[in-house]
Amino acid sequence: MSAQETNGSLQLPKMQSETPDYNDAYDAIIVGAGLAGTAAALTMAREGLDVLMLERGPAPGTKNVFGGVLYTPTIRELVDVDSAPTERYIAEKRFSMLTSDGDETAVSMRPGAWRDEPHNDSYTVLRRRFDEWFAKQAVETGATLITETTVTGLVRDGRKIVGVKTDRPDGEIRAPVVVLAEGANSLVSEGEGLKDRQEREAVAVSVKEVFKLDRETIDDRFRLDGDAGAAYNYFGEGAVGDAVGGGFVYTNKRSVSVGVAYRIEDAANGQTPEATLDAFESHPAVAPLIRGGRRIEYSAHVIPEGGAKAMPDLVHDGAVVVGDAAGLVLNSGVHLEGTNMAVESGYHAGKAIASALADGRSDEAALAAYPRDLKDSFVVENLRHYDWFQQTIADDRKFLFEDLPRALADAETEYFKMDRTAKDEHTDAARDRLLDAAGGWYGAAKRAWRYRRMLS
Amino acid sequence: MSTAQPHVPDVSIEDRLYTVKYRDAGESHLGVKDPDICVECTSNECTQVCPAAVWTVEEDSDGVPSIAYENCLECGTCRFGCPHDNVRWEYPKTGGGVVFKQG
Repeated sequence: MSAQETNGSLQLPKMQSETPDYNDAYDAIIVGAGLAGTAAALTMAREGLDVLMLERGPAPGTKNVFGGVLYTPTIRELVDVDSAPTERYIAEKRFSMLTSDGDETAVSMRPGAWRDEPHNDSYTVLRRRFDEWFAKQAVETGATLITETTVTGLVRDGRKIVGVKTDRPDGEIRAPVVVLAEGANSLVSEGEGLKDRQEREAVAVSVKEVFKLDRETIDDRFRLDGDAGAAYNYFGEGAVGDAVGGGFVYTNKRSVSVGVAYRIEDAANGQTPEATLDAFESHPAVAPLIRGGRRIEYSAHVIPEGGAKAMPDLVHDGAVVVGDAAGLVLNSGVHLEGTNMAVESGYHAGKAIASALADGRSDEAALAAYPRDLKDSFVVENLRHYDWFQQTIADDRKFLFEDLPRALADAETEYFKMDRTAKDEHTDAARDRLLDAAGGWYGAAKRAWRYRRMLS
Repeated sequence: MSTAQPHVPDVSIEDRLYTVKYRDAGESHLGVKDPDICVECTSNECTQVCPAAVWTVEEDSDGVPSIAYENCLECGTCRFGCPHDNVRWEYPKTGGGVVFKQG
């Protein structure tokens, strides 16, 4: 086991074991120094507020896991992204259907425009490095960060939230506003009745491994050069077996992140995360990409996938809920987003808090600009737009994950078959295989109608 | 369609967890709320959904899982996976528990 720390040079203030009296020394307390919390802290610090970030890990990012692609349009508003510890920009996106028999059918795109700055604002990052850097930007802007401090509950004055309880001795700290940015396992928000625990069907489990590989090996295998990177997404039975979800492979500078994410419901029904990851890594489409790589980290996390319907109340008297804690994750199958939504929510929350505090208020009505601005932003627009998706694919799982990938593989095998039969016959046979899988012309039309919203 | 599978070296959960850095918090942040519910439970979803082999139900036990909290990746899957909402899940004290180097 390596004790190596990636960012040993970063000095951040730590709370003394005897907690000084911080009561009302800060305008806002932020629970969690992840992307949403830090975006909120940065936004408020830039407005001149005194903010306190409380992080339970020994450094920001130590408790955080994600697949691997960070979208930076809003981060760019807050900090100088060019100096951020990003890994590679996304030069290629690839969507692959895998069968359990080893077939792969892929669509790949490498628009030339993505090679130009700002690279479509899409970068692979490693959260430990990025989150620590991002939090440091907030500290340099004036925020205070205290690590190794876990918020265990909220302090109330009647209905109004007026501070937090921590696991430090005398660890109660009061401030006019609390930002709950505690992530997918939102124990404080749930424990305090600000949101319900999500149902199992609306939460996914993800397991991931990072494989160390030479930079040249990665460049060669993924056809990359310079800082170019690749984001491969996989669907079908060969990706996550008989489950609703998908697999991913993302390139970092000198490592490759590989993982699967699917509904906990499916894991509970007997498909364990470890076995699912094993099968994915063994698939003929994936194994050669990671061959010879040394495993350097295994990780896991839950992902809230309930969509707009599962979003809790975002604003309370003296508190707001942001990021994963607010369920702000989009998985439309094609678009896989969350970190950008976390940053956007932190940004709007920070703006709303600054404006409310300027009026000397922190009640629910005064903070209402946050949910209003978020609803007008791409975050809630996108969540609403794709709300139908999770249930539809769950209902249609056999066709989407099993029948369709197999029919595509059969059809392409037929279409390109080398023998002494005329092309016409192969073409007809290939078309028949696809039509069979789709349920004939009628079935295909029905399905096209069902998924029309993907393009609308 | 092909039956030829590429060779992938066998890897055990121990190999995987060995790559993870932890700070032992000294006490378990996980537990069951009501052991009687575990005694009644026959499906043991906690053992299925956990990616880190934290939860095991021994054959000869009364059905209450043993908990290797030291392995916990703090993913929270067991919290949602238990259909009886019987998992007691807290954050490890004062920064203890998993310390990801990559994430």
